[in-house]
Formats: sequence, C-alpha cells, structure tokens
Amino acid sequence: MTSDAEIVRRVREGDTAAFAVLVARYRDRLGRYAVHMLGDRSDAEEALQDAFVRAYRSLARCREDGQFGPWLFGILVNRCRTAGRRAARRHRMFVRDEVSLERASAPETSDRAEWDDTVRWAMERLAPPLREAFLLKHVEDMEYEEMSRLTGTGVSALKMRVMRAREQLRALLTEVERV
Amino acid sequence: MFDRDEDVLDRVIDQLRQPVEMDPTLDTAVMTRVAAGGERLGRLAAVWDWAWRPREISVSPLAGLGLAAAVVGIVVWLAGRNPQVASPAAGPNTVQFVVVAPGAASVSLVGDFNDWDGGATPMQAAKSGALWSVTVPLTPGRYRYAFLVNGSRWLADPAAPRVQDDYDAPSSVVTVGG
Repeated sequence: MTSDAEIVRRVREGDTAAFAVLVARYRDRLGRYAVHMLGDRSDAEEALQDAFVRAYRSLARCREDGQFGPWLFGILVNRCRTAGRRAARRHRMFVRDEVSLERASAPETSDRAEWDDTVRWAMERLAPPLREAFLLKHVEDMEYEEMSRLTGTGVSALKMRVMRAREQLRALLTEVERV
Repeated sequence: MFDRDEDVLDRVIDQLRQPVEMDPTLDTAVMTRVAAGGERLGRLAAVWDWAWRPREISVSPLAGLGLAAAVVGIVVWLAGRNPQVASPAAGPNTVQFVVVAPGAASVSLVGDFNDWDGGATPMQAAKSGALWSVTVPLTPGRYRYAFLVNGSRWLADPAAPRVQDDYDAPSSVVTVGG
C-alpha cells in the first residue's frame, strides 16, 4: 500500500487525482468519529466532506507528510465543532439512521438496535466538549498529549472532561436500566 | 441489565468502536469540490482520470442499495466554464453532462431542453462502462434536468442544485449564462 507521505507528495506535485486515495483510505475511519460526535449521518458526511476539501486546500500546511492522518483528524474535529453548533441551533429531532433502521427490521437484532439507540441517546446528552474528549480517548484510543495537540485544550482539562463524561454516561445508562 | 457500572461503559465503548461505513459516493463529492476549487482545467482532468481509474470497491448490502439508488451524477462543464454557471457567450454554450453509473444498460439525459424525452438524448458509455456522457448545445437560460438510468430509474445530479418537480421526483438545475 502506498504510504500517506508518498500520496501527499504526489498531490503537492500536481497529481490532484491522487487525493482520492486518501479520501477512500480515511473515509470510514474518520466517518465513525463524525457520526458519533454529531449524532446525525448527513451532518457527519457534510463535516467529513468539508474536512477533506479543507485538507486538500491547505495541504501545504501539513508539515510532516507522514502525519497526514492526525493532521486531517484535527481538521475534522474542528469541522465537527462548527457543525455541532449549527445543528444545535436547528434543534434537530433525534432520528435513527439507516443502519439502525436496517438492524431494527430484523427481529433477532432488535436488542442490538435498542442498544444502538440507547448509546446514541446517552451520547447526545453529553455536552459537546465532554463527548469530544470521551470519543477521542476511549473510541479513537488517543493519548492525552495527542488529544491536547488536536483540540488545543490542556491535558488536565481533558482528563476532567473524560472523567465527567464517564460519570454522566454511567448515570444516564443506569437511569435507563431503572425505567 | 448490567452487572457492574464498568460493564456499562465497556459496552458503550465497544458499541462506539464498531466500524462505521460512510457512503462511498462521498469520495466523488469531495473530488468534485476539489476540482471546482481552482485551476479548473488541470483539476477537471484529474477528476476525469480519477473517475476512469480501475479500483476495487467493497460494498455492504446497505451501501450497495444506496449506491444503486443514488448512482453518482456529475455535471462537468467543458474547459473554461464554471461548474454551475456557464460563461457569457453569444449563441449556444456547449455543455457536457457526465454521470457515473456502473452496471447501467442505458442512460439518457432528460430535461427542459428536450421536453423530458427519454429517447432524445442518449448518453454514451465510456470503455469502462461506468462513465456515461453526452454533450449538448444550450442557449442561455435555466434548465431542470435529470438522468434516466435503464429507462426507468430517475436520478438527480447530487453535484448540482436540486428541485422537486410536479411529480415529486427530484431533478437538478443548471444555469447557462448569457
């Protein structure tokens, strides 16, 4: 597999089409973060598109070619913040996405679909900074120093956010258990 | 439901770590926007090359359904023209319409300019069979259009402004400058 660094070099030299390789390579990996952060698939796709286009336009600012992935992730985190603020203003109703609908249609997977919805419901109730920190730490498996570089937030503040997110999720899901 | 509090968080994390498949047509949307960003001729050629390049595509049943239903459409203006508004010129502008429709047996361009006649403007398949195109002369104006795949599947162009027509079928809009 051609390395990110090699592809970035080709794009910088004018091979625009090579950028499609990076889009295909990172689409699903980054899409997962955007879907969970924004709770809406179409918002996530829009944020992801914006992130790729902005990355392309500012590729010269990616100082180390081999660090394209983390650099792109940083752009996506910012796009999700902007999209999240916009979505909050729209007061969008919570709607299951197509994946959940498909799972729900199969009786043997109804428990799984219910759990999907429960997790999504709980994640939506976290304040965006807590949701962001939780996802970066526990889903994207990042170290706090890396999260700090990505978000511009101090390590101790991030640790506090992750801890609060864990507490709130635990409380929310215990509440569900009691209903 | 849960034995211990930690089990709850572990299950949440396991759930959130499951792979998420995004719509593969997102790639085309990104590359179309990249191509529209500047250096039109060079980037247009790059997108064209990208569209032609053989590649393996792994598609889940759900994604396949989406892909089949929303075969990607791209309107590409000939050199020197903006993707949505053609440059002013005397007489008709020549506009090339391109759609990526892998597996299609036939694709036609229908719109205000041919009275939505499915037989009036057949598109030609490229060697790969996935890329269909046709070039039409259009006088300045605003036109609604869509692609007709296999004679029955109505397909709007996701890369262009969209409108609902009188029958609630989506179509696209192209404006040719005058």
